Amino acid sequence: MKKKNIIQNGLLTKLLRSLSLYGLALLIAFGLISVIIALLGFSVPDALKTLITTSFKSAFGFQETIKKTIPLIFTTYAFTIPFMIKFFNIGAWGQMLFGGTAVAAVGLLIGNFGLPSFIMIPLLVVVGILAGALWGWFAGFLKAKYDINPIISTIMLNFVAVLFVNFIATSPTFKDPLEGHPITRPLPSSAILGFFHKIPYSIIFAILAIIFVYILLKKTKLGYEITSVGYNLHAAQTYGINFQRTIMLTFLLGGALAGLGGALEVMNIHGKLIEGFAKTSGAQYGVFGILTSLVVAGSPTGVPVAAFFMAVLLVGADALQRTMQIPVEMVFLSQALIVLLIVIIRKKFEPNGGK
Amino acid sequence: MTAITSFISQTMVYATVYTLTSLGIIIGGRTGIFNVSAEGILLASASGGFLTAYLTGSWLVGFIAGALIGMAFGFILAFVHETFKVNQFILGIILVIFGSGLSDLLYKIIVGVRLSAPQAPHVPAVTIPFLSKIPIISGILNQDVIIYFMYFAVIISYWFYYKTKVGLETRAIGENPKAADVVGVNVKRRRYLATIIGSALIGVAGAYLPIAITGTYSPDISAGRGFMAIGIAIFASWKPQRAILGGFLFAGIEVIAFQLKLISANIPYQFFLMLPFISVLIIMMIFKKQIEFPASVGKPYSRE
Repeated sequence: MKKKNIIQNGLLTKLLRSLSLYGLALLIAFGLISVIIALLGFSVPDALKTLITTSFKSAFGFQETIKKTIPLIFTTYAFTIPFMIKFFNIGAWGQMLFGGTAVAAVGLLIGNFGLPSFIMIPLLVVVGILAGALWGWFAGFLKAKYDINPIISTIMLNFVAVLFVNFIATSPTFKDPLEGHPITRPLPSSAILGFFHKIPYSIIFAILAIIFVYILLKKTKLGYEITSVGYNLHAAQTYGINFQRTIMLTFLLGGALAGLGGALEVMNIHGKLIEGFAKTSGAQYGVFGILTSLVVAGSPTGVPVAAFFMAVLLVGADALQRTMQIPVEMVFLSQALIVLLIVIIRKKFEPNGGK
Repeated sequence: MTAITSFISQTMVYATVYTLTSLGIIIGGRTGIFNVSAEGILLASASGGFLTAYLTGSWLVGFIAGALIGMAFGFILAFVHETFKVNQFILGIILVIFGSGLSDLLYKIIVGVRLSAPQAPHVPAVTIPFLSKIPIISGILNQDVIIYFMYFAVIISYWFYYKTKVGLETRAIGENPKAADVVGVNVKRRRYLATIIGSALIGVAGAYLPIAITGTYSPDISAGRGFMAIGIAIFASWKPQRAILGGFLFAGIEVIAFQLKLISANIPYQFFLMLPFISVLIIMMIFKKQIEFPASVGKPYSRE
């Protein structure tokens, strides 16, 4: 009797149910992907095996997966936090680019001062966070004060950021004269984060970000405000929560995290600003962040796991292109398909889960 | 003189893309479906429309393919939203992602990597005897068929929404679906129809980009115009007759920005290229007070 009660009402049921929902969505999605792969004339078992196992077969595969998981965690949070109050931050890409570009510009400008690492690295990390936060906040501000839909404003700011990257990376002050592509000179070594067994140190910041977001949302007043606005805006306003302020703060936080992600890509992975640095496997990290967030229905606690799952697929996608010449867009499309199915299935079976 | 003529004809070409796209968004929005996926439709139909035109050698078949791809997207949007009540914005964004993946995939599979880009068949221009010889007027009149199609679409939709009973009913759905339902309008069917027709127009705009403007497909060819068109639809308060104004305004800004980029030596050209994107935001800030929304846009409707 007791056992039955636990199964009926407890956490276990919830877990089992959401696991079976994900299972169903993945099953349908992989079924459709298999059909498409077969139609294109590729071997389905080989393709699926490559897609899923590449990350775990070699140390290189695993390191690549971690390298993609880290920026993905940041852009996923950048989408997730404003999404908690039902706003869409499509601008994680721009915020990431702006953060990374600011870091590269400041790093190169003060590079000759010979500042030691323990000053340089925290300073640049703060620059990246602030630049991203500014870019995110601006979209929140336009919503709060001028009622401009963030879907539009964040996209417009993305394009401005792309052009800003191009401006910095081609300007005579920063450009590497030996490079044909828009790339800046390398940052001074004091600004570079290293690797531990080929795992980038930026993983530390990703873990800190996970803890930060958890504490922020579960333990602080602001987190409580965000949750209650998301749950019931009208009630939250009645209790005196300033909605305008909450909008701006969620976008500021999202932007700050994306900006940090961009800063770490520049300081750890590339060591300089490269045009198009925030892209992977045929699309930019902002888009993958949106998909990742939707996989877990915008639940912040699920983000790291979902980001890892998506990174596994991305590494698999690269391998498919390398070994079987299946275009990376194939996997990108499949991810969109998986997310669409998850959203539909969740809406169908968990009336409150789909938002 | 040639500079002015070329400015006018370039503006009109881009205005066609902006106007058709925002008109497509408006048609969906008038029944309450906010079509955020315009960018994805533009990309998918640019690729699909171009490839069809290239393979068949017929510009017309290319545009029809573009429209059909648009209709498929519109159907998915309407179907998933109406059947499962999935949030329109989430759905739209997934479709944008879907369209951008699909466009490059189609091109890679069918054309692959080539040294010289394949060229689309030429779209015939409408030439009016005598008038087409006068400098500036020829810039306005001497245009391809699709530009005239765009004018036609704007006029027809204006007439439909403001001069016909069915149009009035359709506007009522956007304002209050329940009331429209009570008086016997089939809300669901109208929403399907509007989203599919609107998306077909966006598909034509998408096919127009490679077939008529650039002559070939390149990745990310729409360059955010699908999202700027959402801005135009909002700026136009969801009215077709204002969408064409917005279309010309943004096209003008885009062409001017490009011209300035070529002329100016002192200011880095990237800042000129930012102009269209920044002006979307500035214009929406300025016209904040004048903007009206159909009350039900973006919201699901079910009978109970």
